[in-house]
Amino acid sequence: MSESNGAMIEMIKVSKIYQPDIRALSDVSVSIAQGEMFFLIGMSGAGKTTFLKLLCNMETPTNGLIEIAGRDIQKLRGKTLARMRQKIGVAYQDFKLLTDRTVAENIAISMEVSYKKPQHIKKRVRDLLDRLALADKHDAITGELSRGEQQRVALARAVANSPTLILVDEPTGNLDATTTRRVMDLLTKCNHSGATVIIATHDDSIYRDTQHRIMELRSGKLHLIREGLPQ
Amino acid sequence: MSFWLAVLRQVARNLRQTWPSQFMTLLTVSLSVLIFAFFYLVYMNMLGVGDKLGDDLRLIVYLEEEPGPEMQEQLRRKILAFDEVEQIRFISKAEAYQRFADQLGNDRDVLDDMPRDFLPASIEVVPLKNLRSLSQVKLFSDYLARLPGTLKVQYGQDWIERFYYFTRLLSIVVLLSGGLLIMTTVFMVSYTIRLTILGRQAELELLRLVGATNNYIRTPFLIEGVLQGILGSTVGIISLYTLFHWIKLRFSGPGILTIFEFSFFQGPTVATIIFISVLLCTVGSYLSMQKFLRI
Repeated sequence: MSESNGAMIEMIKVSKIYQPDIRALSDVSVSIAQGEMFFLIGMSGAGKTTFLKLLCNMETPTNGLIEIAGRDIQKLRGKTLARMRQKIGVAYQDFKLLTDRTVAENIAISMEVSYKKPQHIKKRVRDLLDRLALADKHDAITGELSRGEQQRVALARAVANSPTLILVDEPTGNLDATTTRRVMDLLTKCNHSGATVIIATHDDSIYRDTQHRIMELRSGKLHLIREGLPQ
Repeated sequence: MSFWLAVLRQVARNLRQTWPSQFMTLLTVSLSVLIFAFFYLVYMNMLGVGDKLGDDLRLIVYLEEEPGPEMQEQLRRKILAFDEVEQIRFISKAEAYQRFADQLGNDRDVLDDMPRDFLPASIEVVPLKNLRSLSQVKLFSDYLARLPGTLKVQYGQDWIERFYYFTRLLSIVVLLSGGLLIMTTVFMVSYTIRLTILGRQAELELLRLVGATNNYIRTPFLIEGVLQGILGSTVGIISLYTLFHWIKLRFSGPGILTIFEFSFFQGPTVATIIFISVLLCTVGSYLSMQKFLRI
């Protein structure tokens, strides 16, 4: 995915209204640079999840323009859209795991669709499981894991294909302090490797001491909380 | 991993997960092919029997009196006026008597007291091979019966009529069973694929979200349809082949089966049946995808 003027994401006056008249986002405009780590905070129902869904084209905006790496994602279709999605790793709030499959199969799926070699997939899965303290769950059925473990599997799947844009929705909601640190270490490592990372959260422990930009969604509108410090 | 390897893995995984419904569909496709192919085989063989009978078909025109050379020529012209024929042969009363005596063999002495001209003279007409349909033979027979000096015309009407009605009935059964094959196969395959799609909604949605292409998602379903077609029709044809040989062995004693040479389908016919089944299964699978797999 190539960048456009250094911006990975351009959102201009984006609104999202759900039927019958629920305004989830209202004239949101923001530009997120390539390689930036961006925190999106807000209370439940503020519109964080909608924001992320719009970015990965799961939802379409009611108004406004969304560009990822200089391309209007609403105009992407077929193979071009598929290739774009392969470059976007998303850890959903509801995980979207295949509960009858093993942990390894769930993580591998994002690499299989881009035809990575089986040896590469195996190695990458092992590596991610080690990093997220799930090494012993390789062959476990995902539906039998705890919420915290499922959350980490969803995160592992999101970063497995080395995407250039990572969207994470409440990544630490079910985790203890140690595991939260592991998760954040993994996301930071991905960011240092060049990926743009957007984290939607209401857990202030993960952004309290951050040097990165933080914006808050309140009633569908975006407010700057803190400008990021130069890296 | 190549596209095809990834797709085949998907197919294998899906077959493993949904094997009961896949098996039922396979069974239905096999049965449909078996039913259709059975009637088609009978029909094909009956057509063969019809051809064989047709080769021996001849119309005998019995005459009131023995025609002289001039009248023979007139009658020949009148016969040829209806249509070309393969052969016209005049049989005199004496020749008819001799033939009959030859047929009686050792019992020919029963004719001793009979006059040598008690059998009527006749004309033996062998129609062309294209004069085969019942209506044409009947028309020709009616035409010959109207010729002056004709007593009657014989060609085994009852038997031939029954035979042709039987083959016509068979052709209807073949058409019906063919229609049944088409409907059952398309319906069953599309229904199975539909169930699979509905049962895998979560996975399909996830595949879309992680960037699977349309081909990556759809091809496994098409392959499943193709596999159903290949396996179902092959099982159906093999079952019919087994049944055919069993019948041949079981009824190999004296009877109608030994009069005529019954044969199984030739290679190209088998290939065509399999190809059509594959096509139908693929269509069924495609229809389901169009309706339920929106990408």
